[in-house]
Amino acid sequence: MTERLTVTLTLNGERRTFEVPPGRRLLDLLRDDAGLTGSKEGCGAGECGACTVLLDGVPVTSCLVLAASADGHEVVTVEGLLQAGRLHPFQDSLVTRGGVQCGFCTPGIAVTGAAILARREADPSEQARLLSGNLCRCTGYTKVIDALRDSFAKGGHAKS
Amino acid sequence: MDVPVREVIRPGSVAEALAALAARPDALAIAGGTDVLVQLRDGRKRAVTLVDLDRLGLTGIRESDEGIEIGAATPMDRIAADPRVRRLHPALAEAAGQIGAWPIQCRATLGGNLANASPAADTAPALLVEGALLTLASSVGERRVPVVEFFLAPGRSALAPAELILSVLLPTPSEARGLRAFESFVKVGSRREQIISMVSLAGRALVAGDGTLSEVRLAFGSVAPTPVRARRTERLLTGRRPDAELRRKAARVLQDDISPIDDVRAPAGYRRIACAVLLTRFLEEAARD
Repeated sequence: MTERLTVTLTLNGERRTFEVPPGRRLLDLLRDDAGLTGSKEGCGAGECGACTVLLDGVPVTSCLVLAASADGHEVVTVEGLLQAGRLHPFQDSLVTRGGVQCGFCTPGIAVTGAAILARREADPSEQARLLSGNLCRCTGYTKVIDALRDSFAKGGHAKS
Repeated sequence: MDVPVREVIRPGSVAEALAALAARPDALAIAGGTDVLVQLRDGRKRAVTLVDLDRLGLTGIRESDEGIEIGAATPMDRIAADPRVRRLHPALAEAAGQIGAWPIQCRATLGGNLANASPAADTAPALLVEGALLTLASSVGERRVPVVEFFLAPGRSALAPAELILSVLLPTPSEARGLRAFESFVKVGSRREQIISMVSLAGRALVAGDGTLSEVRLAFGSVAPTPVRARRTERLLTGRRPDAELRRKAARVLQDDISPIDDVRAPAGYRRIACAVLLTRFLEEAARD
């Protein structure tokens, strides 16, 4: 496995190039090659959502994206949700509402929540459906959903 | 962990991709990767080379004289949200919106769901009901295959080695004066989201003012080696009004259209009962709507 592959992508707004093994997953490129350890590996099979990132503006589980397939595309991780050093409005609401306990699922939830706000999806049952790919074993989801509604009410969708 | 492949080829056109696949018998095509990467990780599939279909321009939904044509690399989220698909082919829109969860729907492609040839593929019953036609391409040319001829066995389809699905055509549904089209997709799983179906039903019928059904099409997933049309049940219901007695009879006849097995997700007996319940609900909703 000595062969390397060149992957150039826009990562959190910055154009970056990586030389990686052909079978590298986007999640490993982010964590090991780019040093962005916010995205977490839970199940490694696309079921838990802890590794969720935005690929061209929509949420994907980065454990199921080949790094090679992300070449030429735009990726935003939880680190990229920061705006001028400030938390994303949804992250703010997660803190205020106590929507974080152990924290392992939080980066994925923050990314999916930001995508729901960006989509301006205001229907509560549709919000819950869109969040259903992010498993959280601590909060019981209520405070996460509360945080989403708070950030919506505060106009977080306009800023995201 | 890296997936065990030695090479990833990123062709820029369909012709290049077909040539790459033809030259390497051990190559595997990858689009969204939501099935392929899991299968490679678990050792259920092996490949020396992956051919990435990202740059082939197979994404998008367009209207033609024949109907709506969906590029094979179009993700489920786009299909579920497309106003034309939602209006004319609601069973497909509903199925696409129930595959995995949102991050999977943003990545998983229609072509991948079919090429994987799982008996549980959620778009398959919907496409059977829509009478979809697949356009397949290889280095020797293109051909069109009705979706009903596409699935051969679990994990096996009519797709030849080094052949790709380019697009899926949904023929414009027939209309008749005074008849209302009713169409739906329902799946049963242990959880509502992010689940592989234990049983799924896509149904379509034209309903007359007095409730008489015509053009009844019913297709089930996860209850046979491939997604299947329930032809006997369709024949029984066509031209009749599904009152309580006919609904009971249809649920019995349906048992001969399916051949479920016990597996990790559900026992065969449960699947038989669930199919009968889904059919009964479909007929009740068709009458009410």
